[in-house]
Amino acid sequence: MPSVTAPRSTAQAVEPAGSTQVDPAPRHRERHLFRLWFALPAMALVTFFFLTPFVANAVLSFMQWTGFSSTISFNGLANFRSLMALGILGHATWVTIAFAVTTMLTQNVIGLALAKALQETNRVNSIYRSVFFLPVLMSPLAAGFIWAAILSDHGPVNQFLGLLAGHEVAYSWLGHPVSALLTVGIIDGWKWSGLVTLVYIAGLNTIPRTVREAALLDGAGPWRRFVGIEMPLLAPAFTFNLVLTLVGSFSALDVIFATTKGGPGTATSVLNVAVFNQYGMGLFGTSSALSFMIAILVIVTAVPMIWFLRRREVHG
Amino acid sequence: MSTTSAPATSPLRLVPLEEHGRPPRARLRPAAVLKYVVLTLVAVPWVGLPLWMLVVNAGKTTQEAAIPSVSLPSHWSFADNLSVVLDQGHYLTGLRNSLLVTVPVVVLVLLLGSMAAWTFARTPWRWLRVWYYVFALSIILPPAIVPTVVILTRTGLTGTVAGYALALVGTRLGIIVFLTTGYLRTLPSDYEDAAQMDGAGRWQTFRHVILPLLQPVLFTAAVMTVINVWNDFLFALYMIQGSDNATLPLTLYQFSSAGQYSINWNLVFMHVILTSAPLLIAYVVLQKRIMSGLTDGGVTG
Repeated sequence: MPSVTAPRSTAQAVEPAGSTQVDPAPRHRERHLFRLWFALPAMALVTFFFLTPFVANAVLSFMQWTGFSSTISFNGLANFRSLMALGILGHATWVTIAFAVTTMLTQNVIGLALAKALQETNRVNSIYRSVFFLPVLMSPLAAGFIWAAILSDHGPVNQFLGLLAGHEVAYSWLGHPVSALLTVGIIDGWKWSGLVTLVYIAGLNTIPRTVREAALLDGAGPWRRFVGIEMPLLAPAFTFNLVLTLVGSFSALDVIFATTKGGPGTATSVLNVAVFNQYGMGLFGTSSALSFMIAILVIVTAVPMIWFLRRREVHG
Repeated sequence: MSTTSAPATSPLRLVPLEEHGRPPRARLRPAAVLKYVVLTLVAVPWVGLPLWMLVVNAGKTTQEAAIPSVSLPSHWSFADNLSVVLDQGHYLTGLRNSLLVTVPVVVLVLLLGSMAAWTFARTPWRWLRVWYYVFALSIILPPAIVPTVVILTRTGLTGTVAGYALALVGTRLGIIVFLTTGYLRTLPSDYEDAAQMDGAGRWQTFRHVILPLLQPVLFTAAVMTVINVWNDFLFALYMIQGSDNATLPLTLYQFSSAGQYSINWNLVFMHVILTSAPLLIAYVVLQKRIMSGLTDGGVTG
């Protein structure tokens, strides 16, 4: 029980109990007004560091602005056009989508499989859960460095493959465009899949036991129980995991900085790497345009995804 | 393996049996054994190998670690590498700055976030709903870093730990507000009303009623925020200047880029160990609570 140590105010004590329900509108208003003060600091900080920068970024995408001149002027779609002409915008967008999808699939496939395996809460499962959660604590930079070493030309993975193949294998996982992009995506997925696992476990645990038992009694096998009962009832966990893992990896940078720095060539140059490169060259307008492109990606994917997945939640 | 009763000491006698509603022999089915064999075979390369690589290569000389491998160092130079990282890796400066950022950011985010959540959960005004959606949007929309840097420059905060910390608070508040508001809405306002009726001030009601009610969700939110802020690299890269202000991820990155031709794996790995150590230690101590908090549905609310 929460304790209230405040002295009783006589003014309120004499009021009949339940008077708040029949308060006239103005008093009701006043009753709520004070709470505005409680929200004000958070509102101010979100205005300063989310809302204003976000709007400014959208506006700056259409501005001519570099570090070499002090004037900022409207230039329409010129930033996007020049980025298109340089082959940066389209390429970085595709790389970002491929990276994000790889990451999302890794996290959710691994996460769901582990959640099913470790669904029941008991001592052994708790140990496994804790072990698989460890990568979540690592910084993505650290994850990048570790896996870059493991996947290096003469690293453990190639040594193991060499053992299987019977001859030396020195495949450069991070040195070929396609494998580099897949690899960095999987490394990022590796880092977060422990968390996704726990969200799925939480979702599975909200499924009423009676539902599962009913299916069991009706003779449904494990696979049918999973597809027919658990998958639909997991809908809220799916919404959360799929949206946040996809949207989160649209703005990834760390793992790529620690492994390929965008290379080989520009094979792993996601939008945020391109943003940093433009920013580093003092091209703030084009940098903002690329950053705005991430926002567009988020909006065009997250909104339909939330809409679709939420609908499943209702009908599921 | 299909005996009818499991010995009490068997690690596979896992679940309180009545919870699962199946006869005891189900626990010892070969399928269950197979499951844990497979899980172990996955865990070894997935978690074991990276940790093993870290430790053995952090103990090697630079030459020996030039080709990182799973073999033990021929001669442990753990102490030498440790002193190099402490000297040249700016580790202690990074640790100080990381603590200076993480602790206030987490406290502020939780406090201001739950204060705002009280407003959003209990005040039925329509324009406040719009604000609530702004907070929710700040979770999924990407951070607009360039304008944020401009704002910090205009306010004279650019490059400083304080400006960086404020920007983190402003962008991490959304998820806390979202989680705590959702949680608070599921609770009746009886406690608050009773406290108010007893003459408790607003702040007292918040401090003694709302905060204790929110405690379970705040713990989970704190865990996620600590992990997120401690490991933040993106914001630090743009908003912090100079090695005196650098937080641990930034010192790690600067240190790793210092090698002239290639990465000195032994030193980078030593830095990674030291950078991750504070969180790992906290995790080992609090692990039970963290796990139960996250699996009780704290994230999805």
